[in-house]
Amino acid sequence: MVLVNLTSLDFDQIKQSIKDYIRSNSNFTDYDFEGSNLSMIIDTLAYNTYITAYNTNMVTNEVFIDSATLRENVVSLARNIGYVPVSRTAPKAEAVFTVDTSSFTSNFPVTAKLKAGEVCTSNGTGSNNFIFSIPEDITVPIDDSGIASFKDIVLYEGSFLKETFTVSSANPNRRYILGASGIDTKTIRVRVRPTQQSNTVFEYRLSSNLNDINSFPRVYFIQEVADERYEIIFGDGVFGQKLEDQNFIEISYITTNGADGNGVTGFNYIGQLESDTGASLNRYVSPVLTTVPAYGGSGIESVESIKKYAPRVYASQNRAVTSADYETIVKQIYPEAESVSAFGGEDLDPPQFGKVFITVKPTNSNFIADPIKDNLKRELKKYGVAGIIPEFIDLKYLYLEVFSTVYYNDNLVKDSSTVTTTVSDIITEYADSTELNKYGARFKYSKFLKIIDDSHRSITSNITSIQMRRDLRPALNAFANYEICFGNAFHIKNPKTGYNIKSSGFNVSGVLQRVYLGDLPNGDGKKGSLFLFRLDSEQQPVVVRNGVGTIDYEKGEILISSLNIISTAKVKDGLSIIEISVSPTSNDVIGKQDLYLQLDTSKTEVKSVNDSIESGGDVSGFSYLVTSSYLNGTIVRA
Amino acid sequence: MPLQRVSKGFKDISLSFKVNPINYDLISITNETAISRAVRNLVFTKRGERPFDALLGSRVSSLLFDNLDPVTASNIELEIETVIRNYEPRVSLVRVKATPNYDANEIDVEIVYNIIGVDVPQQQLEFALQPTR
Repeated sequence: MVLVNLTSLDFDQIKQSIKDYIRSNSNFTDYDFEGSNLSMIIDTLAYNTYITAYNTNMVTNEVFIDSATLRENVVSLARNIGYVPVSRTAPKAEAVFTVDTSSFTSNFPVTAKLKAGEVCTSNGTGSNNFIFSIPEDITVPIDDSGIASFKDIVLYEGSFLKETFTVSSANPNRRYILGASGIDTKTIRVRVRPTQQSNTVFEYRLSSNLNDINSFPRVYFIQEVADERYEIIFGDGVFGQKLEDQNFIEISYITTNGADGNGVTGFNYIGQLESDTGASLNRYVSPVLTTVPAYGGSGIESVESIKKYAPRVYASQNRAVTSADYETIVKQIYPEAESVSAFGGEDLDPPQFGKVFITVKPTNSNFIADPIKDNLKRELKKYGVAGIIPEFIDLKYLYLEVFSTVYYNDNLVKDSSTVTTTVSDIITEYADSTELNKYGARFKYSKFLKIIDDSHRSITSNITSIQMRRDLRPALNAFANYEICFGNAFHIKNPKTGYNIKSSGFNVSGVLQRVYLGDLPNGDGKKGSLFLFRLDSEQQPVVVRNGVGTIDYEKGEILISSLNIISTAKVKDGLSIIEISVSPTSNDVIGKQDLYLQLDTSKTEVKSVNDSIESGGDVSGFSYLVTSSYLNGTIVRA
Repeated sequence: MPLQRVSKGFKDISLSFKVNPINYDLISITNETAISRAVRNLVFTKRGERPFDALLGSRVSSLLFDNLDPVTASNIELEIETVIRNYEPRVSLVRVKATPNYDANEIDVEIVYNIIGVDVPQQQLEFALQPTR
């Protein structure tokens, strides 16, 4: 008999295997008694086998990118397919200051140079103090009145560090590993002098692709090594310029705190300024004014993200052909993107051939600025197929509002507010999860109910209804057509009387009172018409204007034609909005194409009700409080 | 290898790992010798020492560092009784006696038991326990 199943990770199984072997192959008998010598030896053997099996299992896991857990191994496996994980990104701020040299009486300077390094410290951010630096010298001319203006200089949060290496032919296998962790690789600058004493300096440029080296051979490559540090690799003479003996390498970079530095608004100057004549200009500097507060800082790419994107980047082969390629490449060139969605223009209605539409949700804001869009377009051109134009479109939010009545057993909880708070917290947690906050997200109704049920042991059941909402930003005081797509079919609650959609109030030209949007289905139950109504009392609508648009219940689309909206009852982020909400046909709501699904926790209502049957207070259920599974309430949004 | 089973007997390996000069096999210990060795092993095994069996063993080793008095001796008796009853089903315990020897700073232990299933006289196992690290 052979030893079997020694790869098991269960100690007792291994021990039993060894006992079985001894039982069949030896005349020793005491293996079953724990005190025996044989039992001690079996224990030692089994333990050794167990440890070996465990180690083998762990090592095997680390060999594949899907199952590897240690960052160093995941990064190494990603490196095999040419993927460099995104480094920490330093928050960027823009600031303005001037240097007044008008008091100079002689040796008038012509230019002012702000030297690479630390420029400002933050102020007004509580206990945290951040340093902001620049990676390169900035030189500006001094005008006739003796003023040098540093306009919109970009400051990077973090400390400026410099390292030097001397190339030695005696040590051909030397590695150039940067000592600090937390480096923003975009701030790395590499300069090489022929020798340490030489005044000639060659700038080296980061290359991520062998194809573009020939035009500029002085390149370096970068790769992440252990402990979130980076190694600089130079060319070998075939791809990229090779370093020579005694070359002196100067590498500067900024180590950042990542997202912690976001939001810094005030700065104090601590930089080094000098004139072309070599005089220090530090004491002539004006207070620093912030034009753009610090934004865009993020941590190093997570292991999960590397596992997700490394194979995709490899699959796209640095070419944007399919829409998935665009999603991967945009994420690669714009690490601040929390979520990216791309789809071909042929999917639109009407189709727009030759275009690919991309929407990006940045990490710390809702929309990306136009300059960033232009940058991304320019970068994408390097990857795209000729003739295909990338178009960046703004994000459209599809909000979900949840109304949940939670039944609980009052014997198992102190009070109802505990239940309400627990459920609200779990809903907030769910709303923040990646289950929703991405393109193509699906709100899974049954899972959501289960999350609520499982949130506290006292909860016996829940009745939860949902509605979709979109916020229309009207062009005030102008006739305009509006198209509001929900991407999900609408539920027709009242086929004959209408009022299936609800809107917040607004004013239109020609009507004095505040009006709301209403709908009336046609006979086919697929489409309907829109009208405006006012409210004389809470449930007493009076139609003031018919034929203001159409509604397609199946497509989930509202078209408002030629309406001059003067004002709205609701304002969000300083912009007038009209909230339009409707119940979906299916409770599983999907964020289609450019719709970004978000659960709006501010509009979520949670109510807790004592389950009198389960609690034992009313076993017959006579006074049990019944909750409707359908949305009720007013015909307008408050 | 033909199956050779020794019935009505206990056979254990000797931890001396010496070779039998006649058949060049490992020296084995049998019946009452094997069992007395097993009992000693149990008494001297500390709890948690065996992998994945945290309860096997006794607290005797740590009790030896308590004050040398009848109370400690009584606790040691109890520990020895418990471990033998729980882990050595081949013996029927008759008595355990732990006597403090104040002059030598040790506890003399006497364990008397019968072996179940083997026709041998009542066994008496004696050893001295000393606090050594």
